[in-house]
Amino acid sequence: MSYISILITYIFISNFVLTQFLGLCPFIGVSRNTESAVGMGFAVIFVMSIASVVTWLVYTYVLVPLALVYLQTIAFILVIASLVQFVEMVIQKVSPPLYKALGIFLPLITTNCAVMGIALMNITSEHSLIESFVGGIAAGLGFMLALIMMSSIREQLAMKPVPKPFRGVPAAFISGGLMALAFMAFDRALLTNLLG
Amino acid sequence: MNKEFTKGLVKDNPIFVQLLGLCPALGVSGLVVNALGMGAGVIFVMLGANIFVSLLKNFIPQKVRIPSYIVIIASFVTIVQMVMEAFAPELYNNLGVFVPLIVVNCAILGRAEAFASRNTLKDSVLDALGMGIGFTLGLTLIALVREILGAGTITLFAMGGFDGVIRIPILHLAPVRIFSLASGALLAIGLLLALFNWKSSAKRG
Amino acid sequence: MKQLASISLRLALICAVAAAVLALINSVTAPQIEYNREQRLLQALQEVSGDYEIGDAEETDAEKITARYPLSDQEGNLAGYTLRILASGYAGEMVLMAGYRLDGTVITARLLDNEETPGLGKEAEEPSYMEKFEGTGGDQRPVPQRKHELSEAQADGVTGSTITFSGIGEGIHAGSRYVAELGGEDE
Repeated sequence: MSYISILITYIFISNFVLTQFLGLCPFIGVSRNTESAVGMGFAVIFVMSIASVVTWLVYTYVLVPLALVYLQTIAFILVIASLVQFVEMVIQKVSPPLYKALGIFLPLITTNCAVMGIALMNITSEHSLIESFVGGIAAGLGFMLALIMMSSIREQLAMKPVPKPFRGVPAAFISGGLMALAFMAFDRALLTNLLG
Repeated sequence: MNKEFTKGLVKDNPIFVQLLGLCPALGVSGLVVNALGMGAGVIFVMLGANIFVSLLKNFIPQKVRIPSYIVIIASFVTIVQMVMEAFAPELYNNLGVFVPLIVVNCAILGRAEAFASRNTLKDSVLDALGMGIGFTLGLTLIALVREILGAGTITLFAMGGFDGVIRIPILHLAPVRIFSLASGALLAIGLLLALFNWKSSAKRG
Repeated sequence: MKQLASISLRLALICAVAAAVLALINSVTAPQIEYNREQRLLQALQEVSGDYEIGDAEETDAEKITARYPLSDQEGNLAGYTLRILASGYAGEMVLMAGYRLDGTVITARLLDNEETPGLGKEAEEPSYMEKFEGTGGDQRPVPQRKHELSEAQADGVTGSTITFSGIGEGIHAGSRYVAELGGEDE
């Protein structure tokens, strides 16, 4: 797979949130306003791209040679957990306002299925190191795209009279469902048409 | 019935009330049998994690408690993964990447941190069973809605002469296919949540 | 300092115990998993290879064809090949197993693993899905690669994704041409 097709695949065709249900918790939890959606999006892209590279290295150079592939799940989640801790420290140092806005959500990235998901998918799709890195960035971009669209919709929804039982989360899910419907228009044919 | 057990079933249902563990919930909710398989996996992991976290609560240092919990949870997930692949390969194939993803199911880490780390072994076991069964119930409900509407069938385990698939007359010839697709899962859970809200507000007022 | 040592010691202990337990369970399940995999492969191989004898797997240099098994008739003459083919589907790569006679005619095919959309691509896992391809690929009938190349009755049977169908059709077609080019020659 070429890098461009990896990008298109993870951003549009198999968008993590809208077609694979990965990263739904933050998708619903952090999408109330666009500002925090953007912040969360960048944090996730950052963690995902580094996590992709590190988990790939751990898998290829530690787990496979030692025949410890069955420890994959434990190794990956530990790598991701320590990375998130590290990113949290960096953001706290570099940008206190951002840290204040994202503070409670950063630890949640550890249990963000999307990060673990891309790490596992890089292995099952037999990506190379660079392909994994691109995959991580692309999946993160796809996540951010979905998150920003969702938050714009919810900002609008907040000003509209929504029937009471649908207010908040149910309306968010239904909007997400409609967005996913639109994303079905992207399929493999897109790659064939664009790249031949 | 013990309240530590019953609270997870409806009142604090992890899926519909706490909105935890949604990724696996939606990802495998296309077929009822997948939902039940995933539920069994989650109950096992939750039970194992709660037991060990509760037993080791004085041994695990406060500072590294989250990594410790994660290691415990990941071990149980790996056990589920290996046993399922060996003895239920078809189910394992259907659940795919969502089996290792049980490890990031926030519902499990949530219970370990919020409950098992400060309660007795007995209460932790009851809590895990209640939450796990509540999770399975919620997941199965979504799967039922999606499979009945989306495919017109209910897929259970094959036994003897029965192939495990219940076909619903008429609907299974012309199903509402959108419910079996990704967007259908989001729509289904949105509508079910609205129903839950409406029910509980009707009860209150 | 002493506290730090104690913390890391305890964490390391937890990790070590976890790894040991998993190693133990792995030693039980790994052979079973390997056995399951071989059984699945063997079953698919036999289903697609008609009544021919199946030889040992050989490597190929074709990009999308990852393995080939020579088939021989009762007298031991080369009668065709069974190929393991990578095909692209709606949601990722699919693995096909397809048997061919020497002129490239399809015996039949099976889908091994895929990540196709449930309800759309999954019907391709049914053996009956592959009947449309059987007997095609020779001189008379080309392998159908698009839904509109099927007869109306057959096309109605493909209720699922057109992309899945094209992916499988293209994969089977590529295999057919590969076998026809090999001809009767053993390399």
